[in-house]
Amino acid sequence: MIELKILTKKFGSFVAVDDVSLSIPSGEFFGFLGPNGAGKTTTIKMMTGLFKPTSGQITINGFDVVKQPLEAKSTFGYIPDHPYLYDKLTGREFIYYMGGLYKMEKNDLKENVERVIDLLELASWVDKKTEDYSQGMRQRVTFAAAFVHKPKTVIIDEPMVGLDPRSARIVKDSLKQQAKDGASIFMSTHILEMAEELCDRIGIINKSKIIFLDTRENLHLHKIKYDGNLESVFLELTKEDKEL
Amino acid sequence: MFWKVSFKQDFGTAIRNIGSFIVFGSFAVGAFYFSNFVTAYLLENVKIGLFLFHRFIGMLLFVFFITINLGNMVVSFSTLYRSPEMSFLLSSPVSFLNIFIIKFLDNFFYSSGTLFMVGFSVLLGYGSYFDLPWHFYLVMMFGVLVPFMFLAACVAVIVLLVLMKLAAKINFRLLAAGIVLVYISQIYFYFKVSSPVHLVQEVMKYYPNVDLYFGMLDPLAIKLLPNFWVSEIMYFYVTNNFLSVVQYTSLLILSTAGLFVVALAVANGVFYSTWITSLSIKSLTVRSLELKNTFFSFGKRSWFSPQTEVLLKKELWQFLREPSQWIHFSVMMALLIVFLMSVSSLSIKLESPELKAVVYLVVFVFNIFLINSIALRFGFPMVSLEGNAYWSIRSAPISASTMYWIKFSSVMIFLVVLSIVIAWLSNIPYLYAQKVINQFPLPSSFVEPHPSIKILAYYSIIVTPIITATLVSINVGLGSVYSNFIEKNPIRIASSQGATMTFLLSVVYLVIILGVYYLPTTMMFVSASKNSVVNWSILSIVFLIITVPSFFIIGISHLLGIRSLRRDY
Repeated sequence: MIELKILTKKFGSFVAVDDVSLSIPSGEFFGFLGPNGAGKTTTIKMMTGLFKPTSGQITINGFDVVKQPLEAKSTFGYIPDHPYLYDKLTGREFIYYMGGLYKMEKNDLKENVERVIDLLELASWVDKKTEDYSQGMRQRVTFAAAFVHKPKTVIIDEPMVGLDPRSARIVKDSLKQQAKDGASIFMSTHILEMAEELCDRIGIINKSKIIFLDTRENLHLHKIKYDGNLESVFLELTKEDKEL
Repeated sequence: MFWKVSFKQDFGTAIRNIGSFIVFGSFAVGAFYFSNFVTAYLLENVKIGLFLFHRFIGMLLFVFFITINLGNMVVSFSTLYRSPEMSFLLSSPVSFLNIFIIKFLDNFFYSSGTLFMVGFSVLLGYGSYFDLPWHFYLVMMFGVLVPFMFLAACVAVIVLLVLMKLAAKINFRLLAAGIVLVYISQIYFYFKVSSPVHLVQEVMKYYPNVDLYFGMLDPLAIKLLPNFWVSEIMYFYVTNNFLSVVQYTSLLILSTAGLFVVALAVANGVFYSTWITSLSIKSLTVRSLELKNTFFSFGKRSWFSPQTEVLLKKELWQFLREPSQWIHFSVMMALLIVFLMSVSSLSIKLESPELKAVVYLVVFVFNIFLINSIALRFGFPMVSLEGNAYWSIRSAPISASTMYWIKFSSVMIFLVVLSIVIAWLSNIPYLYAQKVINQFPLPSSFVEPHPSIKILAYYSIIVTPIITATLVSINVGLGSVYSNFIEKNPIRIASSQGATMTFLLSVVYLVIILGVYYLPTTMMFVSASKNSVVNWSILSIVFLIITVPSFFIIGISHLLGIRSLRRDY
């Protein structure tokens, strides 16, 4: 369960996120779309505690991210847009490391490390140091690390950056599996087809504000207005001269 | 095209720049007065004479030369061979030699900026004592200090290029160990040959005519070293022998130019091929120390909490698998061992209690300075070394302060233990009976140190860890305030502007400690000399003067450090 209430983030006089309110119930797969610089990553960074909101409230699984950060963080897994890892650790060590940060007990951790290595198909290279990984390999390790503690909520920023088709399929399947297991997923993406394929509900942010928020089914009604294409809906809604 | 220029015109940056200016300026003024005071004190109070004074400068310059040399070697290794930027540069239409020159000069000026400033302030203090003309400063700065430091950098890069060339055929770890041994031997032989104790005893035979030139006492090997030339230039400037000044300055400049040409020739021949070699030794980690299935591997259970355990293990592996970390650490430890071996058997026959106190203080300050160098080099970059992967901690259910304390403790525990060992070893001559070789036919005997001196030694062993904890706090705390998650090279982090500020603040703290510590040290040596009663209240007051501000500094440093970790990432 994720709730954003009139969330705002300002950098000096620049308003990056402006009065954003969202409610994502447990078990929902939510797609967060928007053009570059719209405020997607800033919103996610506030949700994950990397940025402090200027105003507003974020509640994840019943915990206020600002007032109860440790409790809130222990319930979600985060996959950033750039999968930076510690170069000198191996993929397996990084997953263990993340599990440790989430206070997982050794036996449980060991079992879950093997589970996510299987889920993300990392076994053949997971014991190499991450400095030797490609972007896609790093991305998959980040997914594994986010899933290791079986989070109730998964927050993902641009999951497909640098992934080859096989890796993309593995990642999509793993996300579907998480959703099937009951996790709510908040995913920002540029790939409209992916949002259409995976998400129950889609929100579009443009110029710091939410401009569209509806279910996948209702989105089809919008698509009919245009040429039956989600891309056309997106381009129309996020047009530069569009009146908000 | 490689110079990085950034203009940030916000209020915070302006405040920080003004702060930097004040700290740098204050430090420059402090260095000026300090060198002026030390010169006056040694020449007027201790009366060591011009010749010995300049020979001591020469010895300090030798240590300075080796420090710059090693520093440049490690920085050059990181930037020329380990930096990801190099792959990009070598694929650009710029000649390998040009890339080498630019990176070499970048390294040199980047890591030497503060030293130039400190050097110039010290020269001003020295020059003003002797009332030297304006051209002294010009000649010393551009004709002596810059070439001297550049010479050290040229030697460093030549040694590095040769080392990397050999690495194609010889195991790099063996080579690294070999080079450490060579440097240790150099320092050992330098002090063996220059024999400062013997020199003092010989010169003091001519007392009070100790300002005379005793060049016949200098061994030939020492005269071939650039630090000797610099001390000669200074001596001859003071004694108005300008012909010798010109000769030695020309020798220094020509040698530097010659070595720069040699460095370029070697680089032209081997830089690219050695860079290729460096790729094959990329796995230059402690593979034999992988320690699989031991306490240190991530999959193993330990008695720490899961968070503490993984953070400690991550720190350990990041350190052991990063060559620029463990090589630099090994070199520093090796130098430390040499220093400790020397001072633990130090036996200087001096009559004056003031001179004995000065010798004691020099060793005491040198100990602390060593600790500070290690704290700056390894403690300051700790937070920054989280790098871009810092998101993993910030988004995890762990508080910033927990991470901070784990990082701080790992450096602090090591350095406090080390500082106690250093303090104890360097106080051995003041704690235990020393062997005295008597004139024939009397047999050699053992002389117990005076009780006052023993008290001073124990006092230092207690005070040193408190000072160490303060220095580690300053370095880790300000390392967090000035954290740079973009820079991956720990050496560059430890020589950034923030690190320089931290170093200067630490030195200011050290100078204050030195000033305060002077009082009990002199008192105890005078008490030992005159068999007078020790004033315990002075010892207690000095202890309070050292500990109370130290604990205050520790608190402030941690407060700032933890607060900085909560900034937007």
